[in-house]
Amino acid sequence: MTEARRLSLILAVALAALAAIFAGPYVLDTYSVNVLTRSLLYAAVALTVDLLWGFLGVLTFGQSVFFACGAYAAGLVFTHMDFSPSNALLALGLGVGGALLVAAIVGWLAFWHGASALYASVITLVLPIVATQLLYSGGTFTGSSSGLSGFMSFDLSMEAWFWLSGSFLVAVTTLAYIFVKSDAGRLLVAVRENEQRCKYLGLDTSRLKILVFLACAAIGAIAGYIYAGYAMVVAPELAGFVFGTELVIWTALGGRGTLLGPVFGALIVDYESAQLAGDYPFVWQLIIGTLFVLVIVAFPRGLLPVVFDAPRKLLGLLRPRAATPAASVTLSTLDPADTQGVEPGEGPALAVADVVKRFGSLTVLEGIDFEARAGELVSLVGPNGAGKTTLMRCIADGAERSAGSIMVNGYDIGRKPPEACVALGVGRKFQMANVFETLTVAQCLQIARVRHARPSLWRRAADLKLPEAAMHVLATTGLDRQLSTPAHLLSHGMKQALELSMVLALEPRVLLLDEPTAGLTKTERMQIGAILIELARKQGLCVLLVEHDLDFVREISSRVIVLHQGRIVLDGSVEDVVASELVKQVYAGSGHAGIAHETAPSAPKEMPA
Amino acid sequence: MIAQSLDIVTTAAILYAVATGLLLVFGVMKIINFAHGGLMTLGGYAALVTTQAGLNPWLAIPIAALFGGVAGMAIERFVVRPLYSRPLDAILATWGLSIIIGQLITLAFGRGVQFTQSPLNGTLDLFGESYSAYRLALVGIAAVLGLALTALLQGTRLGLETRAVIMNEDLARGLGINSGLVRFLTFTLGSALAGVAGALITPLSSVDPSMGVPWLVNAFMLVLVSGASLLSLLFACVVLGGAQVLVATHFSPVLGGLTIAVLAAIILRVRPKGFARD
Repeated sequence: MTEARRLSLILAVALAALAAIFAGPYVLDTYSVNVLTRSLLYAAVALTVDLLWGFLGVLTFGQSVFFACGAYAAGLVFTHMDFSPSNALLALGLGVGGALLVAAIVGWLAFWHGASALYASVITLVLPIVATQLLYSGGTFTGSSSGLSGFMSFDLSMEAWFWLSGSFLVAVTTLAYIFVKSDAGRLLVAVRENEQRCKYLGLDTSRLKILVFLACAAIGAIAGYIYAGYAMVVAPELAGFVFGTELVIWTALGGRGTLLGPVFGALIVDYESAQLAGDYPFVWQLIIGTLFVLVIVAFPRGLLPVVFDAPRKLLGLLRPRAATPAASVTLSTLDPADTQGVEPGEGPALAVADVVKRFGSLTVLEGIDFEARAGELVSLVGPNGAGKTTLMRCIADGAERSAGSIMVNGYDIGRKPPEACVALGVGRKFQMANVFETLTVAQCLQIARVRHARPSLWRRAADLKLPEAAMHVLATTGLDRQLSTPAHLLSHGMKQALELSMVLALEPRVLLLDEPTAGLTKTERMQIGAILIELARKQGLCVLLVEHDLDFVREISSRVIVLHQGRIVLDGSVEDVVASELVKQVYAGSGHAGIAHETAPSAPKEMPA
Repeated sequence: MIAQSLDIVTTAAILYAVATGLLLVFGVMKIINFAHGGLMTLGGYAALVTTQAGLNPWLAIPIAALFGGVAGMAIERFVVRPLYSRPLDAILATWGLSIIIGQLITLAFGRGVQFTQSPLNGTLDLFGESYSAYRLALVGIAAVLGLALTALLQGTRLGLETRAVIMNEDLARGLGINSGLVRFLTFTLGSALAGVAGALITPLSSVDPSMGVPWLVNAFMLVLVSGASLLSLLFACVVLGGAQVLVATHFSPVLGGLTIAVLAAIILRVRPKGFARD
């Protein structure tokens, strides 16, 4: 399906939905129109819960507060300043502005570097509690527990409110749908799947989360504004924790990560609540609660996928599905003139000066001092616990080391987070293959290119330009023939190769590789070795390699650094290291008598890196 | 001054009694049990039934523990066990259980606010100040709970295995510890403690089907800043509970109600480990 056809199909469905909304008041009774107007607005807020939770992985209990922001802005302005068209605009501006301000504060608190998913949820849980208490204590200004009512509002018929709410819902749903299916929207899933890898691909995930959070806050505030205009009453419950969790319940029931599921979940449950709550209020709540627990435990994807999969499965029994679809992305080599990697700065590609790393009272690295030039392939060797991986971490993340300085391409990395180190030219491949498991090979590579090729907010790119080095890895390992394979189906060796090409797609100047050949077969190892030599010699990368296999090290390195108990004990050519008695002692384990006491009089206990 | 100090001590004691069960479950299972509030409500109604039946009000405590424990067993087996690998989902599922417990209680007892009989009435003279006897008794009860739990964790084989699971579950399992059983017993004990907490707070306030919810959030925040240690929980209860009392008396009760949640959020922002040591 071409890009144009895909987008026109989405727009056609949206138009059909708009037609259904338009027909609504003519086929439904007055009571239903009245109730559904509210449900349509709630559904728009549930949509924002799905964007945050289902796609980005941020479980939020506080979206009710943004709805209340919009609603109270309208209520307060219309109560205290009278209703007029200019005041209506002012209220909308205040509502959205207030929501954005609150979202910015919450985002700053909840999405700082190193904040856990649980902490973000905790903040969104505290938010509605604080908001309701503030509304309660607002006296006559906010109307305290009874809220505000009896204010003037837009003079619209009930049908018009229904159409307005419905069109708003269709519009935000369509836009959200186009966004999450676009190249930019895929970043949300990537962050949910593997935030660490995203950061080490140079993406500022905190910023991304805050931006999505702000957009969701604005949507919620507009929905709340329309709600206040139509209901002409606002109450503190709108900002409450209970409403916040109800939104989560609707999202979970409908199906997180489906957009349409939460919309229908909210519409159906809220509408039915209004119908049944009068007669059986507690039984109805009990049914919803039970259903919610059941869905969370047994159908975590929600009910919409279950409903949709059943007919698809039946069809599948009748008509076997076609083999995997052809690759939707074509690869091409980036013109070397267009490469955007960091310009090599002055001096060595990597300069590590007097780096120390301590965990509490434990010193894991001490006095690490070396330089590496572009085109050098430096191997870091040493027994387990020598501090090799820790040193890699210190180079790729400015916040890691306890003391000392690290220059990459002539720039000091300071205390910069991983994504800023990537911007300076660092590329880090992890010890365990670290890719986006649910995304395809092509999608993983696209995300690695986001830093250089800004993704579209509404389209999917049909071609992907990769730097020569990444293309070379793909071609050598045959990954270029598996572009539409999901990463979790790849073999261990293929995953390693995929991660290597993702890192190379960053166009790094300094490549950090942590045991890139661990668990690979002899042939795969030879392939990787050849690639590394070429990267260093032809592309002029500075490669720093942690490796246990000394034969492999001997074959490919131009220089070897031996680490032992957190110190550099030898820095020289391959021949120096092979001839060294010291290294034999270190590896034979008798090093404790020979070196440790000599170089580190008070050798600290080792800690596994 | 003395009245205020007593307020702080007794508030901390109540918070401690309410949060221990949640802390135990969080420490061992890394799961936030949002059914804690519902289980407290259950304990509160167990106390109501006990006193309405004309039994000694002190009996409400073991009966509430029984109710909470039995409910906890069922919850662990059917809801929490499948969710060990999905901690955020476990929060949601246990919140759903809280709704279920609340609605079942509403169906059985109605929505209204009811009052239980207090096991201790009147006041005690302490440092020249006459103070609620029951609130003072709660300090003793909380101390007994804390000491008993510490003794259980430090002095018994089950406690040793539990601490092993807290530190490194995979290793513990490799050493032949039945971590599934440890989790089951922990959740049961945590739920029983929630029931006890519900019974303990009912004489102070009233009983209604959503009585546990306001306590849940405070207990949850206290547990998050305490990590998995009973000692740091005590510290958190005194500091944050104390702040709550001070804000409520000197500024406004509304702000006092927010103190624990807001302070805990800020503490966690500045120091993600909270009051826990490394």
